[in-house]
Formats: sequence, C-alpha cells, structure tokens
Amino acid sequence: MTETASLHGGRALRSRSWSRQVLAALLKRLGARIGLVWIAALVLVATFAPFIANSHPLYMVVDGAASSPALRHMEPLDWVWLCGFALAVVLLLLPLKAWQRLLGWLLGVAACAAFAYATVSPPALTIYEQYRELEADGRVERLIRAPIPYSAKDYLRDFADTGIEAPLAAGDGRVHWLGTEENGADVAARMIHAARIALGIGFIATGIALLIGTLIGGLMGYFSGVVDIIGMRLVEIFEAIPTLFLLLTFVAFFGRSIYMMMIIIGITSWSGYARYVRAEFLKLREQDFVQAAVACGLPLWSILFRHMLPNGIAPLLVAASFGVASAILAEATLSFLGLGLVDDPSWGQMLNQAVQSSTFNWWLAVFPGGAIFLTVFAYNLIGEALRDAVDPHTQRTAGGAS
Amino acid sequence: MKLLEIDGLVTELSDGRNWLRAVDGVSLCVHRGETYCLVGESGSGKSVTALSAMCLLPFARHRHPGGRILLYPDVRATPGERPGGHTEAVDLLRADEAFLGSVRGGRIGMIFQEPMTSLNPVLTIGEQLDEALRLHRPELSTQERAERVVEALAEVRMPDPASRVREYPHRLSGGQRQRVMIAMALICEPILLIADEPTTALDVTVQAGILNLMRELQEARGMGMLFITHDFGVVARIADRVGVMRRGELVENGPVGQVLQTPRHAYTQGLIGALPERLARAPRPPLQPRPLVAVRDLQVHFPVRRGFMRRVVDHFRAVDGVSLEVGAGEVVALVGESGCGKTTLGRALLRLLEPTGGSVELDGRDITRLPRKSLRCLRRRMQVVFQDPGSSLNPRLPILTTLIEPMRVHGIGRDDEDRRTRAEQLLERVEMPADSLWRYPHEFSGGQRQRLAIARALVLEPGFILCDEITSALDVSVQAGILRLLRRLVDEQGLGMLFITHNMGVVEFLADRMAVMHEGRLVETGPTAEVLAAPRHAYTRKLLAAVPRLDTMLAATD
Repeated sequence: MTETASLHGGRALRSRSWSRQVLAALLKRLGARIGLVWIAALVLVATFAPFIANSHPLYMVVDGAASSPALRHMEPLDWVWLCGFALAVVLLLLPLKAWQRLLGWLLGVAACAAFAYATVSPPALTIYEQYRELEADGRVERLIRAPIPYSAKDYLRDFADTGIEAPLAAGDGRVHWLGTEENGADVAARMIHAARIALGIGFIATGIALLIGTLIGGLMGYFSGVVDIIGMRLVEIFEAIPTLFLLLTFVAFFGRSIYMMMIIIGITSWSGYARYVRAEFLKLREQDFVQAAVACGLPLWSILFRHMLPNGIAPLLVAASFGVASAILAEATLSFLGLGLVDDPSWGQMLNQAVQSSTFNWWLAVFPGGAIFLTVFAYNLIGEALRDAVDPHTQRTAGGAS
Repeated sequence: MKLLEIDGLVTELSDGRNWLRAVDGVSLCVHRGETYCLVGESGSGKSVTALSAMCLLPFARHRHPGGRILLYPDVRATPGERPGGHTEAVDLLRADEAFLGSVRGGRIGMIFQEPMTSLNPVLTIGEQLDEALRLHRPELSTQERAERVVEALAEVRMPDPASRVREYPHRLSGGQRQRVMIAMALICEPILLIADEPTTALDVTVQAGILNLMRELQEARGMGMLFITHDFGVVARIADRVGVMRRGELVENGPVGQVLQTPRHAYTQGLIGALPERLARAPRPPLQPRPLVAVRDLQVHFPVRRGFMRRVVDHFRAVDGVSLEVGAGEVVALVGESGCGKTTLGRALLRLLEPTGGSVELDGRDITRLPRKSLRCLRRRMQVVFQDPGSSLNPRLPILTTLIEPMRVHGIGRDDEDRRTRAEQLLERVEMPADSLWRYPHEFSGGQRQRLAIARALVLEPGFILCDEITSALDVSVQAGILRLLRRLVDEQGLGMLFITHNMGVVEFLADRMAVMHEGRLVETGPTAEVLAAPRHAYTRKLLAAVPRLDTMLAATD
C-alpha cells in the first residue's frame, strides 16, 4: 500500500502482501513460466508488428532524401498498441497500487486512442510495390527493411505468379519462411498481425465479462434475498443463450466487426464469473472481518471492493485465464467458419484457407493452428498454476501438532 | 499392570523440506483400569503423541528417530484366541501393517475431537458400527453382529438404540454423535482407549454426560485410557494420572492430586495459575453504572419455510423477548450453551441482524428503527470483537490499513499521520509491538490477532464493546493475558462490555453481572458472585453443576 509507504520510511519492516506472495508462488511453477513467456512474446510481437513484418522499409534514402515509410504508414491502431505498451512499462515501474495501475492504464489507452484516431492519418492509398520498383530502378541509396519485408495485406501483385505457395517455394528471389496464402500474402506477416486479434479479443472480451460478472455477482452475494433471486434468473437467461449462434446472427445482421465479437463474447460469458463471485461473497459475508467492517460503519463500496473482493478474487482469476483461452477459441471458430473478419488476418481464418482450395495446404494448417494451440495452452497453463498458487492447501504444510 | 508404555518417544514431522521435532523424548505408561490425561496447550505435541501410538501419522511425513511404544498383551483373552493376540509386549513403531490393522480398532480404540466430521455422512451409524465388528470379529454371524451393535448403542445410553441403528449421522446431535463414536471405539472391546479431546466441541452439560459415561465404561471394562485435553477441569474430573506437555516434552508426570495441587514444574504452575478462576482480581469499587445500552423485549425470529411455495409455516425463535442493560464501566457476561441464541442476540444488538421485535437503546436513543445512514454514524459508539481469530482480520490488508480506515470514515484524526500515531498508541494499549502496523494478519498468533481485533474495536473510541466468545479459541495462558487486558480497558476507560461466553471461569474473573440464556430467553440475571454462589433457576444450577472445575474437584477428592 502506498499510504503506508509514504507514511513510513522503513520499508524493510513491511511484509509481503498477498498479491506478491501469489506472484512469487506463481513464478515458481514451470507451467506458469512457460505460459507467461509465450504470452509475453505474443505481446511483444503484437506491439511491434509494424517493425517486424512490413512491406514499407523502416528507413530509406532515395535520391538523397531520407524517409521512414514504415512510420509514415503507421495506422492509429499501431500507435495505440505502442502507447499502451509504453504506458504499461511506465506504470509497472512506478510504485502504485494494482487498481491505480489498471485504472491509469485504461484511461491512458483511451486517451491515446482518441488522440491517435483524431490526428494520425496515414496515406489513404498504400502501394506496397513502389519500394520494390524503386529498388529495381536502382534509385535507393540506403535501405533498412523489416525482418519480414512483407505487410499482412501485401498481396504481391507486382509478381506474376502470386498465389498459394509452400514455405520457401516461391520464385523471383522471394523468401516466405512460412509460405503464402491463396492471395499471395506472406503467412508469417499475417500471423504476426493476427496476434493482435488473438490478444485483443481474449483480454477485452474477458475484461467485459469480468466487469459485469463481478458487479452482478457481488451484489447478488452481498445482498442475497430478492437481489439474489433476480440476479440468478438473469444468469440463467444468459447461460441459455448459445454464444456461437448469437454471434452468427449478429454477423448476418450487422456485418463483420472484431469489436462486435468482443462485446458479444463478453456479454454472454459473464454468468460464470457472476456465479463464482456470488458464491465467494455469500461465504465472505458471514466472515468476522466483514461483519466487523459493517460494525465499524464503513461505506458499502469499501466493504464490497476492499474487504470482500480481494478475498474472493482467487477463483475469479483462475476462471478468467481459462476464459481468455475460450474467447480466443470462439474467435478462431468463427473465422474458420468464414464469418470472421474480411480482410484483416486472423489465425482461424488462415486455418480456413488451409482446406478451402482443392489441395490441403499443410503450412496454413500447422502454423496458425500451432499458434492457436500454444496460446490457448499458455493461458491454461497459467490458469492451472494460478489455481495452485492461490490455493492455501497446496502452499501451507500439514503437520501442526494437537 | 502395564498396558501401553511409551518410552523415550521422538516424533518428527516434515513439511516437505524441514523436519520439525513435535515430540521429544516422551515417556509415559498407561496401566489397566487407569486414565492417563495428557494436558498441554495447542502445539505442545499431545495429539501427535497419541497418533504416534496408533501409527496414524501421515505416511512418509513422519519419522521416529528414537523411542519405543510397547503394547502389552491382553490378559483377559488367551493368546491366539483372538486375531492379533500376542504374549509378548510388541513395539508398535516396528510392527508390520497387518498387526497394526488388527490393533487399531481391535485392541486400541480411538475417539477424535470433532464429532461432526468423524462419522461418515453417507452410511447409517449401524453400518459404521457393523464394519468395525466385521473386520475385527469375523467369527460372529450377521445376527450376532446386529445384536452387538444395538447393545453397544444401548451401552453408551443412546435413546431407543434399536431404531437408531438405521439413522444417518446428520440426524444426531453433537453429543449423540460422540456417543456413537464411543460405541464404535468400544464395540470390539479394546483394552486401551485413546481419546483426543473428545468433549472439546461439546457443551458443558453434554460434556459432563460424556465424561461420566466414559468413566463408567472404563471402570466396568477395566480398560486403560489415554485422554488428551487442554482443560484442567476435565483433567480433575476424569484423570488418575496426569502428564503435562510443553513443546514436545513431558515436563511433569504424576498422580492427578499431586500434579494439580502441588505442581512441581514452573510451567504447570503457570498453566494452573492462568486458569481464569485462579486469576487475581483487583477489588472493584461498587459503581452505580449509568445505563449505556438497554435491550427491551428483543425478539429475533427466523421464518421456517416448507413446501413447494416456500410458505412460512413457523418461526424459529432464536431470541425470544430478552431484556438486558449494560452500563458504562461494567462487564455483563452472557452465558449459555450453543444454540441458545446468545450470538444472535449480540448481532441483533449491533443491528448486524435485523431484530423482529423489541428495541435496542444506545445512550437512551432507540436505534432499532434508525435508517442505515444515520446508523452508520452511531456505529462508532458500539464495536464488536468476534470469536475466531482466524477470520477476525482482513487477511489481505496490513494492520495499519485495518486500523486507519474506520478512523478516516468517521473523521477521527486530522490526517493519516495523526491517525497512524493514534494507531500506534492503540497497539501499545493492547500490548502489541508498534511494528505490527506493517504486518499482515497471518503473521500473528491467535492471541495476538485477538489483541489486534480489540485494537480495531477501540479505534473508534466506542462506549460499548460486544465480545463474542473472544477467548474460547485460545490457550489458557493467552486467555489470561487477554482477560486482564479487557478488565483494565473497562476499568480505565469506563467502557460497557457485553461478554458472550460459555466459560464460567471467565465469567467469574471478568464479569460484574451475568445473564444466563436458555432457548432464546434469559432465565436468570444478577451480580456474578450471587448467581454463581446461589443460582435460583433450575437451568443455571444444571449448567453450573456440569462445569468441570478444578477447585471443586480438588475439594471433593480431599
């Protein structure tokens, strides 16, 4: 707590808070480490995607004029990702409380998004071929390319035989490590950009679900009685809605939008969290320290969110990490069925392309499928490790005497 | 004649990394027809000693670097007649599993503390009793076994044993379950009974019945009994010999009269001196307390719902018309057995629970029908300390936050710096070190947590404090410290206190007046000394008679 830190210089005296203990216990487990490393790698790749896979050179000197086409062509979304990442790093370094960090990050990202969409306007017409033509003409004096010199939507129209190619099989001196898809775009580049969708849908959909679930579940658990009865009926109604068919219906009516998907997955999957929070709160409500907080006359929000929620959050975190995995799977399923995004790459959509043409294109199945599997697996590993880390029975030891 | 001899027993337990010595060189001997009481505070290793004797410690988590546990042969039966019969003394620590299997339940019976969890809820009690017989007495026919089961239940005075055989454990009360446990332990006619705090979870009147029963059965059968307890009253009532344990060592060992009356070891002297009825009481000037909290005809009824439409068919009267006054500077003890409604009364008094009828007045003002908002401001006048030290503090918050938050909400103190100083002073008052502020609840022992809970209650400078069994989970020496602290706080600050308890010794030390509660009603109220000396109501007399007390027992033996 910062209030204790600011009041008292002697930090050495202070003990580790529960969240730090859980974090330490989590990092002790191999599964959690593997999962976290994979997720961290995905976050890095998603954040710096424009610098990893881009047809626009990072730096270029043409006819004596230096420029950075990659920066010039950055979309507002690219800036939001970068700002969000930088903000997260800064907030983690500052000594703040967890909720202050979270709130600060959300507000900061919202501000960045508003600013970026208002000010950043990349050239409307993107001609990926121009750099290759310039290079062929010999006008380029210095050129720094991205490690994968193809954009996700660069269909390589300047080459004659664009189409589906196996890894490292393309001619014309092109190197496609993971092959190309049916329109000729580089699979590696598309997969890197698709990491954003996987991460975004997982976190935002689960975030929405957590928010609604905690609020409704918390109120149900604390007040019980009539509130509980109404809340549980609401939970049952939402549990009766099949998410996939609702998504199909919405896609049919309103067209394809990643944000729509996030929101729909979010508002149909909160019921599980609400049940968890309700159960925890029903149990916590009778605990002596909660009764003591009531007897101290503390305000309701403090009792709910300061005294009860942090004590009941453990099963919620575990469920959420599995929830992220299932949200990613839901998006992949939709995209595989051909109901995902039209032009933007996503792993599920690439899987779809693996079976669409007359031949089975193994590289379109193995790499995106592997990425989906690894990501879901990573979240499940973290969830499992978290479950063990927050469970006092696996931490504490037996052997107390009489 | 020796039955069980524990000789230099050393038991070490492992938490996976380190070995902890739980029992360190304990030597004792249980004779036929004798009750050996092992007394000690929590963590002294008395249960581990008993579990070692039964070889019931967790597999691969314990080891015995030294010592022997000798089980002597049963002279009642000729060797070889019953399985597991033997002519020589056998060292149980080195015996094989097959032999141990025949000993456990067959020649040594065991009773555990918690009657609620020691019976299997999905089997009838008849089936559970029958199972032990089937295992240890395979020569009996089904018919004979069924008769034995009914006999065993009759022996432990279960009402209507023939039909009780088909009951499931949840249909029985705690005392009845403990009787079933005793029947189960005794059904194979063991020569030794090990009882691990068998009456701790029970009410005193029930406890008195169980203790008498155990004593009688032991005398009738000539069994040896190893009885583990923390309660010196129980020791005085049941023991022939006593061993006092402390940190894994047996510090004193001898006949009951000698140990209790002239304890030699300083630790035993300290323990007996810490019994609440032995604590020195400072003379209190007779005061005319001005009424602080007044309860008038308070009722708390819980609806009993039945049927498909959840119709209210009846009301359970947890508190049924109670009137009580607590003045400033006095401690009123509320005494009663579990389920009598004393905790419900306490919660309704603080309006943590909405009373059904009657009124509660604080400083002459009726708070029963105040809206929540105005009640919140009044909350600082009345505070509460609860029973369970494990859950009385928020485990996720450091002590400082727990203490400062209520002050901030009620506008006590100028700023956080000022509030922190107040919190430090408060810790000093409850005799806790100042650096406790930066720690989390799990770093403190039970007694320390109760002190912190008292500090949390005092933080708002209340006029009235409700203490709900706050010392019942603590060891006597820790309890003594807390009781002295409470008395001092009351005397120095003129607090009013309602102290809910079932411990008569605590009442005697702490309370100025006492109220006895039974089935939702107050049956007797009056000054503590008067009620204890000359109880008027029949229930009070029954309750007081059931309390195992060291002094009366010792007086009786002289």
